[in-house]
Amino acid sequence: MLSYLAKRMLYVLPVAFGVSLFCFLLVHIAPGDPLTSVLPPDASQQMQDELRRIYGFDRPLPVQFGLWLWKALQGDLGTSIATGRPVAAEVWRAVGNTLLIACLATVIGFVLGCFFGFVAGYFRGSFLDKFASMLAVLGVSVPHYWLGMVLVIVFSVQLGWLPPGGAGPGGSAAWKWDWEHVSHMILPAITMSVIPMGIISRTVRALVADILNQEFVPALRAKGLMDFGVFRHVVKNAAPTALAVMGLQLGYLLGGSILIETVFSWPGTGFLLGNAIFQRDLPLLQGTILVLAMFFVGLNVLVDIVQGLLDPRVRRR
Amino acid sequence: MSLEMLTEERDRGGAGTPLLEARRLTKHFPLGRGAVVRAVDGVDFQVMKGETLGVVGESGCGKSTTARVVMQLITQDKGEMLFDGEAVGGAALSLKAYRRQAQMVFQDSYASLNPRLTIEDSVAFGPTVHGVSKSAAIARARDLLARVGLDPARFAARYPHELSGGQRQRVNIARALALGPRLVILDEAVSALDKSVEAQVLNLLMDLREEFGLTYIFISHDLNVVRFISDRVMVMYLGEVVEIGPVDELYDDPRHPYTRALLSAMPSMDPDNRTMEAPLAGDPPNPINPPAGCRFHPRCPQAQTVCAKAKPVLTQTGEGARLAACHMEIAGSGHSRAPKLEDAA
Amino acid sequence: MSVITSDASPAAMVTPPLRSPGYWAGVWRRFTRDKVAVGAGIVVLLIVLMAIFADYIAPADPTRSSMLRRLRPIGTPGYPLGADELGRDMLSRLIHGARLSLFMGVVPVFIAFFLGSLIGVSAGFFGGRYNTVVMRTVDVFYAFPSVLLAIALSGALGAGIFNSLLSLTIVFIPPIARIAESVTTQVRSMDYVEAARASGAASGAIIRIHVLGNVLGPIFVYATSLISVSMILASGLSFLGLGTKPPTPEWGLMLNTLRTAIYVQPWVAALPGMAIFITSISFNLLSDGLRSAMDVKG
Repeated sequence: MLSYLAKRMLYVLPVAFGVSLFCFLLVHIAPGDPLTSVLPPDASQQMQDELRRIYGFDRPLPVQFGLWLWKALQGDLGTSIATGRPVAAEVWRAVGNTLLIACLATVIGFVLGCFFGFVAGYFRGSFLDKFASMLAVLGVSVPHYWLGMVLVIVFSVQLGWLPPGGAGPGGSAAWKWDWEHVSHMILPAITMSVIPMGIISRTVRALVADILNQEFVPALRAKGLMDFGVFRHVVKNAAPTALAVMGLQLGYLLGGSILIETVFSWPGTGFLLGNAIFQRDLPLLQGTILVLAMFFVGLNVLVDIVQGLLDPRVRRR
Repeated sequence: MSLEMLTEERDRGGAGTPLLEARRLTKHFPLGRGAVVRAVDGVDFQVMKGETLGVVGESGCGKSTTARVVMQLITQDKGEMLFDGEAVGGAALSLKAYRRQAQMVFQDSYASLNPRLTIEDSVAFGPTVHGVSKSAAIARARDLLARVGLDPARFAARYPHELSGGQRQRVNIARALALGPRLVILDEAVSALDKSVEAQVLNLLMDLREEFGLTYIFISHDLNVVRFISDRVMVMYLGEVVEIGPVDELYDDPRHPYTRALLSAMPSMDPDNRTMEAPLAGDPPNPINPPAGCRFHPRCPQAQTVCAKAKPVLTQTGEGARLAACHMEIAGSGHSRAPKLEDAA
Repeated sequence: MSVITSDASPAAMVTPPLRSPGYWAGVWRRFTRDKVAVGAGIVVLLIVLMAIFADYIAPADPTRSSMLRRLRPIGTPGYPLGADELGRDMLSRLIHGARLSLFMGVVPVFIAFFLGSLIGVSAGFFGGRYNTVVMRTVDVFYAFPSVLLAIALSGALGAGIFNSLLSLTIVFIPPIARIAESVTTQVRSMDYVEAARASGAASGAIIRIHVLGNVLGPIFVYATSLISVSMILASGLSFLGLGTKPPTPEWGLMLNTLRTAIYVQPWVAALPGMAIFITSISFNLLSDGLRSAMDVKG
């Protein structure tokens, strides 16, 4: 078990390195001078050189990468060009916000997805199956940012039940777990939950159908196990993979939240990312992407480890 | 390149030279962390022209790996092979030229055929690789299909999934013959077939052997079938050859304790003389850490101290061309049953 | 026709062999039996036709704006689906928008299919160190959620159709390469590939004749399932201002510019998304149907 853990962690290092290299290079594949966002258009050559030196753009690339990586490992992701605040602090705050809705969305998606998937797989081929499967396909086909808009139209504009966006009065800095604030979470979370629901539902359906198809199930039934016993058995076997998929979906939501957060003006990492892009705030862009990607990589490792814990077959690999 | 050249007999070495000679073939598979599967360990044997060499042994004894090494689908770590006196892959005999002369029929008849190709295309593939025109190759394929008992008019344009197991295996045989080989390795080729179909295919193999003057290496775990079709038999255990000799002599008078055990494990056909217990005790062998000395000694009823210390080499035993790797047959080995040195002729 | 050699028996030459229907005919038969898939296929076909013949079908010029008639609701005379925030006819814009949206959905996936298969099949076939190096590199890209990667690349490269196409193609190459490698590795270990090697065939011939035919099918089906994702991502990029630039009609961009209109004309503002939704779901159902039709053991 420990060797599996060790191997898994070891494997992640080159990937993590590659990811950070990519994040670093992003800035440099961008056309144009990285400094253009900072400089006033009539900056003198001397000012340009000065700023270049300050930001370190005058060093050779590998050196820049090394310095950047070294600082990043210590938690210093540079300073945002637009706001002047340290990137790390901004990202950290935003991550917390995104996690709020992402976790809620994952839970909703998981519960609904398991339910639909289980029903579809258990009653395979029946009308229930087709209905549940159709819901799943809808889930993965819908452009979620559009769904967000529609939900806002229905629940905010027309019905006025829920607020259309933002993180509540006072912004996210003054977060409280009361209805005023939580009501802002609901629409974004529901919107976000649709894709995970679709994917989890499909996965669970396939899993359940597979397990029920295996030959030892009639044997279990023959032993006189009531349907509940079979149900427990199916859950036990399907759980590792279902949880793994859920974990991965959480990762995707973290990374891909930008669209929904833009629709709802939710001050999470996606929103931050959007701002960074528009303002060409490259340190912020770099830092945010790095953190998000690392989260995803780390989540992957965690999921693998949990799967290894739950399903001994995985460990043999 | 015309078809005639493919089927023409290219007997370079004469009747005395073995068609295939394997010397000290060794193949190990590393498992990581120092463990190694010693699948084939120093295997020596010869196959004479026109004969059928049966190869028997338990699962994991290295029969299939040996077959693949002979076909050069796996390259051996050590050891060499001579085909009709010439080194395989050497100056006189390139690998591609060798592949025209040695072919193989696999066990899984379904997995052996590309599901996207018609069976005539599958059979014709080999010749096209060696420069035969597509139309000539297809004509040859249809001809071979007819010879293995599948009417080309009905079967040539079919797909593998439309055929039964026995029919597919016939296709595989036709495919193996398409290049006009002199040596055909049959790796458990009939093991997956129903008994009646198996009999038909065996008879087919024997007819083809006559018609084309083929040499076979017939690998199987079914001792009855091996006895039926082989001239000589080689017994393998844990990657090594333990006994080799003419089929009837070996079956009637096995010299190696493992061969004896294998043969007596065959269920008896006589209701008054049933086989009561399994003659072999102990766990099935593990090729990762084979025992020291004679690899069979942990399960051998006649094992003695020398067996754990020294590895017995293949030695002449009995009359005729029989070899067995057992201390009981090696003069002066130290085994109590071994012939004394002064008794050796 | 065929060369008659001395080997061939006359009987084989006279009677042409029975042609069995073959694999693709079977696929077509199974596919056409699936009503949902066929329905989805028809919808996709209609949308494609609509995009191709947009100039002839659209009632009005999609870029002609009118300050007087901004944000009219559905059913306004002369504007069957309403007018957008610059007074342009929604119906015409939606029809024309199909072009770009379809283009952005299909082209990146198509290119990625080609490149990803190249990478994956070669890695799967040749194995060894080459495989490890290639697949680890692919893994680095796979480590990013696709949305993030698309946005990161687009953000770095800047807005515009070409940049979006580029970043989307890069996003889709890794998953396709992975599937390609996985399927190729499976096929590679099949006995018929070993038998082909035993015939003395060179790697190129083996790949061409034995591997590709068995591998491209599953990869293709997987790729078709990515089309809807590509469409949604592409429109998402436009929604963020990273993709198409105005005034070109494109569904995602339309959603973007109509965002603030949800308070005034909510249903008009929702229309482009509906178009994306319908197209996306049709592609998905089509892809599912294709997969079911191809997924038969012989």
